[in-house]
Amino acid sequence: MAANKTDPAQRPPAIEIRRLTKDYPLPGGRQRVRAVDDLSLRVHPGQVYGLLGPNGSGKSTTLKALLGLLRPTLGDCLLAGVPGSDPAAHRAIGYLPEAPYFPRFLSGRELLRFHAKLAGVPRAGREERIAALLRRVGLAHAADRRVGAYSKGMLQRVGLAQALVADPPILILDEPTAGVDPGGAADIAALILEQKARGRTVLLCSHLLTQIEEICDRVAILHRGRLLAEGALDELLGRCGRQSLVVENLPPEELAAFEDWLAERGGRLHAVERPAARLDRFFLQTLERAERATEASAVGTGGGAR
Amino acid sequence: MSGEPTGALRFSLRRVGVLAEHAFLEAVRQRVFQFTTLLAAVLVAGSLGLRELDFGGAELKFVADFGQGALVLFGSVLTIVTTVQLLGGELENRTVLPVLARPVRRSEFICGKFLGAWAVVLVFCAVVTALLLAALWLRASTLPAPLPEAPNVRVAALPYAGVLAGGVLQAVKFGLLTAMVLLIGSYAQSNLFAQASSFLVLAVCHLQYLARDAWQAGHGWLERLGGGLIGLVFPNFQLFGGEYLTAGADGAALVLVGRVALYGLVYTAVFLSLAVWSFRRREI
Repeated sequence: MAANKTDPAQRPPAIEIRRLTKDYPLPGGRQRVRAVDDLSLRVHPGQVYGLLGPNGSGKSTTLKALLGLLRPTLGDCLLAGVPGSDPAAHRAIGYLPEAPYFPRFLSGRELLRFHAKLAGVPRAGREERIAALLRRVGLAHAADRRVGAYSKGMLQRVGLAQALVADPPILILDEPTAGVDPGGAADIAALILEQKARGRTVLLCSHLLTQIEEICDRVAILHRGRLLAEGALDELLGRCGRQSLVVENLPPEELAAFEDWLAERGGRLHAVERPAARLDRFFLQTLERAERATEASAVGTGGGAR
Repeated sequence: MSGEPTGALRFSLRRVGVLAEHAFLEAVRQRVFQFTTLLAAVLVAGSLGLRELDFGGAELKFVADFGQGALVLFGSVLTIVTTVQLLGGELENRTVLPVLARPVRRSEFICGKFLGAWAVVLVFCAVVTALLLAALWLRASTLPAPLPEAPNVRVAALPYAGVLAGGVLQAVKFGLLTAMVLLIGSYAQSNLFAQASSFLVLAVCHLQYLARDAWQAGHGWLERLGGGLIGLVFPNFQLFGGEYLTAGADGAALVLVGRVALYGLVYTAVFLSLAVWSFRRREI
């Protein structure tokens, strides 16, 4: 029983898709195109689950069917055990649509207020929560600016804030980092991990495989509506039981000795590769260094002025 | 965080109110509302400039008709454009997705849009009617006294009640038109189609009496059947004109206003129900 409480895989799934099939009629109505074909998935509480696939693979259709915005041709979708087509199921979720558009006439704060009211967030503490969320996604400075004047990255950030406004246990994020600069994408990844640490379940679609790899526990790969692969990242990438050491200036004879040393202890050298520096990390580190330098010079200048 | 109870999601007037407030805010911040209201106000005020025409009591009726014409014309345009924008614009821009991903029933969504759009048109009707009454009062106060040979012409008492009743009936009519436009928008795939269809429906409703005539006095069964169907499905917008009220507000006229308003409200409820039914079936 104790295991049931601690192991997320033993608890009822937060999201369950059972044999989902979705056909769209082609113009004329006689022929149909299959967007999702017999898809089954389970996302357990506390997991970050990535839905991967090229454009047109059925990811967004799957999410829309899950939210009851589309009627499945076959199969069903459950959110916290309730059919996604039942609006009551939406109490448990926060949703960020792909390339989010929000009413241009509202300010960021008004947008969050509107969604908070719709979600039934109590009046007491509502404004404080909205202000905190705007700060968290880095939009405090633009809170009272019209959404129509927001950049793509700011729209994603305010979209994420609206998804979080009712503090839902399940987050469904469709391309949360699309159009966001690498720094912003890293912020969003950190925010998703923060939600995971709080026990929230996250289902997300993304094209940024590096980011998926960093934040997801499990992934599913879709192609033309069919599930090609599904599982924990370590299993899929064959990383179970493996470690990597990065060494510098090791002569070839020493490498052979190291291999022997490993064999004596029951280990095996799997591969010797030249470690590649990751461009995204290099980019972020360069920006961070520049930020620190700017801050340091600002402090210096400010100190002198005073 | 959410203060909602668990279990089934019942129809909530609170959520309808939130959606209506949002729709109202969107509509009043659009240029079409500001532009049509300004234009109608300018027309009403402009009718005061017809001072060289000295019709006596008839001039007040002319001013009243002129103002009512501005109310009908710009009110119809405002109702159709605003309602199509509120529903169709939201569907086209996909801003509807995060809203329907909230615990919101589609019936609440449509009712919220209806109330928001209607509230905007009510503000328009109130502003134009108030301006028209003010214009009539101003003009009546500068007209010459009744002639000794026609002492029964009491110019100041002539059109006020009729104008007020006409404003109320137009407001009811625009509510009905809002519900009809929402029905069209609930299945339309583009804003252009929704607007064109809505203007067509508006024309049919204004000419509905012809269909009723065909039903009652048509030559063939086809003409009678077609006329009967159109006469039944489409409400008669001519009833909301209120021309028969300009003579004053006696008891019979007030009863008539009440009956026409009830006729409009019943049709509104029917079209709104159809819009909800149609929107619930729509895939987003």
